[in-house]
Amino acid sequence: MARADRREGDQIRALHCVLGQLGRADGSAQFSAGDTSVLCGVLGPVDVRVYDEKLDRAHVEVRFRPDIGLPATKDKWVEAALRSTFERVILGHLHPRTLVQINVQVRQGDGSVDAAAINATTLALVDASVPLRTMVAAASCAVLPGGAVVVDPTQEEADGARSVHTFAFGAGCSSEPVYSDSRGDFAAAEYDACYDLCAATAERVAAFMRAAIEGKVTKEARVGA
Amino acid sequence: MAGVKVVVPGDAIDAAAATVVRLGPGLVQAGGRTQATAAGVLHSDGEQWWVVTNRRRYVAAEGEPVVGVVVARHGEGYRVDIGAAHDALLPLLAFEGATKRNKPSLALGTVVYARVVVANSFMDPEIECYNSNTGKSEGYGELAGGFMFKCSLGLARRLIASRAPVLAALGAELPFEIAIGVNGRVWVCADGPEKTVLVANAIRNSEYLDAAQCKQMVRELLDR
Repeated sequence: MARADRREGDQIRALHCVLGQLGRADGSAQFSAGDTSVLCGVLGPVDVRVYDEKLDRAHVEVRFRPDIGLPATKDKWVEAALRSTFERVILGHLHPRTLVQINVQVRQGDGSVDAAAINATTLALVDASVPLRTMVAAASCAVLPGGAVVVDPTQEEADGARSVHTFAFGAGCSSEPVYSDSRGDFAAAEYDACYDLCAATAERVAAFMRAAIEGKVTKEARVGA
Repeated sequence: MAGVKVVVPGDAIDAAAATVVRLGPGLVQAGGRTQATAAGVLHSDGEQWWVVTNRRRYVAAEGEPVVGVVVARHGEGYRVDIGAAHDALLPLLAFEGATKRNKPSLALGTVVYARVVVANSFMDPEIECYNSNTGKSEGYGELAGGFMFKCSLGLARRLIASRAPVLAALGAELPFEIAIGVNGRVWVCADGPEKTVLVANAIRNSEYLDAAQCKQMVRELLDR
């Protein structure tokens, strides 16, 4: 089965990330997969509005901005999904009565934006040294009309697909997803195939993100020695 | 660099070798296993384990010297912005020689050098500008004149531990005063604004430079 960009079914687009490029955020990361690119800036732990203050944990706020126009209903949905995912990953009880603000800006959307947003958010949180339970890596799959399962779909592939699935996994405990989103009509076998493919891909994405962070930490450690 | 162990959040730490283990910043015990919560370099002296991270947001810890800005005045003290999630409280009597009759009067916007005395996640931090055991200021207090700028917490820690070659390179060329807060704020004062700005720029440039590069960078700034 040939894809428009000549990738194999289980082949992801070229990954790229930049850490700490925003000067005024506490941590930031840009994560790109092919033409999809997401920028995430994290502030935290910072002062919280009295209305949002939680006495036993940090308040997690997510703002998701699409690449074009103002946030619409589907963007608000991604925003809520990101918040519920990362509320469980951030060790908020270590910083009670504070706010962790996550700002996600899509720079260019060409399919698999939600997976890229999760990956960018993880990297930005690690860059800001917000205490995390684990690193989270996400991947998307699409089931094409012919029944073929392809990973990391472009916008064109996702628009023509029967169903699109996104899963995110914590590193080290990849048996249980921390985020799961499936849209469209699909059979149980197709769902299982997508799940397995996403799990395998997320592992590779996690390795990529780990290498990026290790590179930055090693660079700083070398100067400090 | 060999022998450096880099950890990322979620990594299990094998601290089972020692019977008593003290966990420092960046490590937690969860469900019977010890794991990292931040990305950084793992350090250990056998009994104590901690992760050294470079971050930009300060989290107050007891005993640390900080540089802050007075943002408000209350009946019993000042509210000082130290870059943490909450403003710190600086009591009016926490100065050298301060009494109920004779208290220092700080204007809003004044820069102070102080030590954190109360720091826990459930209370606002408290700082003081003297050593409460000796009653002496020991260098803490109002920082008049000069210029304050921000840098990463990692650079601030290196500066204060005298492990930053930039201070030696600058000190060899011109006299200046410096107050380093581990909250990533540095106050400098040299002979005139040009020199002060030069020192500030040199320190900000030095984050990723080694000793020889620092020397050259300072030289280039001076020759400009």
